Amino acid sequence: MTVGLNAFILLAGLLFAIGMFGVILRKNTLVIYMSLELMLNGVILALVAFSRYNGTMDGNLFVFFIITVAAAEVALGLAIIVALFRLRQSVMVDQLTSLSR
Amino acid sequence: MTPTQSLLVVIFAPLLSAVIIAFFCRQRHGLAAAISVTAAGAIFVFGLLAILATGTDVVHASSAWLHFGDFEVNKGFLFDDVAKTMLIMVAFVGFLIHIFSLGYMADDPARGRYFGGLSIFMFSMLGIVLADNLVMIFVFWELVGFSSYMLIGHYLNSDEAAAASKKAFIVNRIGDLGFLVGIVYAYWHFGTTNLSEMGGYVAGNPDLVKISIAALLMCGFIGKSAQFPLHVWLPDAMAGPTPVSALIHAATMVAAGVYFLIRIDFLFPQEVLTLIAWLGASVAVYAGFCAYGQNDIKKILAYSTLSQLGYMAAAFGLGFPGVALFHLITHAFFKALLFLSAGSVIHGCHHEQDIFKMGGLLKKMPITAITFLIGTLALCGVYGLSGFFSKDAILIAGGLSNTPIFYLLTLGAFMTAGYMGRLFWIAFLGQPKSEDASHAKESPLTMLVPLIVLAVLSVAGGWMGYWPDFLGGLIKDNLDHLHHMDHYDAMHKKVLIFGSAAWIVGLVVSFFFYGAGAKEDRLEKKAAPIYGFLRSRLWFDEVYNFYVEKIQQRFALLLNFIDVFVIKGIFVRGSAGIVGLVGMCSRSLHDGNLHTYVYWFLAGLILLWAVASGLL
Repeated sequence: MTVGLNAFILLAGLLFAIGMFGVILRKNTLVIYMSLELMLNGVILALVAFSRYNGTMDGNLFVFFIITVAAAEVALGLAIIVALFRLRQSVMVDQLTSLSR
Repeated sequence: MTPTQSLLVVIFAPLLSAVIIAFFCRQRHGLAAAISVTAAGAIFVFGLLAILATGTDVVHASSAWLHFGDFEVNKGFLFDDVAKTMLIMVAFVGFLIHIFSLGYMADDPARGRYFGGLSIFMFSMLGIVLADNLVMIFVFWELVGFSSYMLIGHYLNSDEAAAASKKAFIVNRIGDLGFLVGIVYAYWHFGTTNLSEMGGYVAGNPDLVKISIAALLMCGFIGKSAQFPLHVWLPDAMAGPTPVSALIHAATMVAAGVYFLIRIDFLFPQEVLTLIAWLGASVAVYAGFCAYGQNDIKKILAYSTLSQLGYMAAAFGLGFPGVALFHLITHAFFKALLFLSAGSVIHGCHHEQDIFKMGGLLKKMPITAITFLIGTLALCGVYGLSGFFSKDAILIAGGLSNTPIFYLLTLGAFMTAGYMGRLFWIAFLGQPKSEDASHAKESPLTMLVPLIVLAVLSVAGGWMGYWPDFLGGLIKDNLDHLHHMDHYDAMHKKVLIFGSAAWIVGLVVSFFFYGAGAKEDRLEKKAAPIYGFLRSRLWFDEVYNFYVEKIQQRFALLLNFIDVFVIKGIFVRGSAGIVGLVGMCSRSLHDGNLHTYVYWFLAGLILLWAVASGLL
């Protein structure tokens, strides 16, 4: 049985939406970070699906790039969050508003 | 040494002296006096050298000074015969005044500043004398204004001196505004401000003469030479030390105005000349009347200067600049003499200036009194003295070309003799009328020598035949022209009779009316209203004060209101307020909460999408 393109797109959209709502609604920086990754994965899935159904490699190529960059980004982001926690003893977004002035 | 180098020495010697005194000799009074007098002597010597070296040639040296786009300002000398005549007069009279100051200011605690001021004054005046273009004349013109401000206000502690110096400066500024506009207009019209170039253009095409340019430039003359209606500063300027009054009234400042007119006489059309002639004649008579209401020896002389300046203006306005220059020169001699003698009297009487408190000075101070008498007679135009020749020429010019002005000027001559007689009879004859006058002594030699030299010049200064060839060319031309006019001989006789009658009647009437060594003003006693009217000086000061206080001040307050509320309140503060409001709004967006930023990001994304897809 083959899975149709629409199913992939639907799943990708869902992942993206879940990630976005996570970013918007959650307070914990770590969770927001994970949600961001989820959004990224939704996009990756869509790219792979398009690539598969178009029979070209362009999308796949992009995906490799994104995975690489995302890995580096995660390492950096987590380090920042750890440093932030050391400084503030908190990673909750509503307590990190010192940029307001 | 070339003439140009000599002239450079002439102009920079006093500047150097002023700079040295200003920086190093403010407290070293003796040194300052020595430097200043040396500089004045150097001016005279090198001026003479330059004149002897050039003879009757005209020296014109000029080089670029400033460029503004196409507009070029030159610094240069125009050393023609008018400038030579003026230079030698300014240098010589100035030198004598410097020497006189040595004696007169010997006890002054601020002699250093005083002599520095004299030097900068000489520098400014020589600049005007030698300058070859209007811009340069204007620069030195303003320097003369500054120097007079400094010297009139020499007695820092007296309110009167402070007010007088301010008044002189401000009133001059009013005239200078017209002068400045006139320079700009002249440049726009001729494309140059150089005197000889403008003269060349006008000579080539007489239609180039414009009434408006002449009238604007005349404003500068009116301010500097204290003509109607800007004459009010001159009597007040008597608050300065007496040698300064001599310098301002004889050799510099007021002479600068007349000299400036003579320098640019080719720019004047008939209409403006007539206006100047009438202005001059009316000032000559007006000042004559005012002098009767004054008791201060210096103020009387100040009004006499005003009246003589009126004669010069009238001569110029009648189309005889050379005659105006002639009277300027002879007037410089006898007016410097009168002021310096008055200074000697004031010095001898311990700074008493009221003529009704003097008296008997002929016995106490014979040399001063005799030189003063010579000055008085020269001023009145007694036959054979210097004032006679120049005044005679002016009266003839008036008689031949404008009869009403002739009668006005004759009346002026009569008034002159009257008030000078009043001054002399009351102050020098009779008995001393105050403690100070009875202790008066003859002044020291440094003061008497300049008096004697000036007395000789006051007698002989008008004998044109003895003037060397290279001096006074314009004067000789004008006198020659006058001699060859129709009806000259008849008019000459008439003037001789009228002029002599004027001074004889004036002196005799004042002698019998006031009496020798009078204790009080008989006019004040017998005819108080007339005296009061003369004393009021036609209420010029009152009118000006009223104008400044009630009209100008209110206008200034209105402008201040506009400035504070409209410009400052609405434009400056208002624009700052709008920017501040925008800042406050945008700052409230910036609340530091990550989620807010995400929402703004989304909103921006939606906006971008909408724009990109053509919805907006």
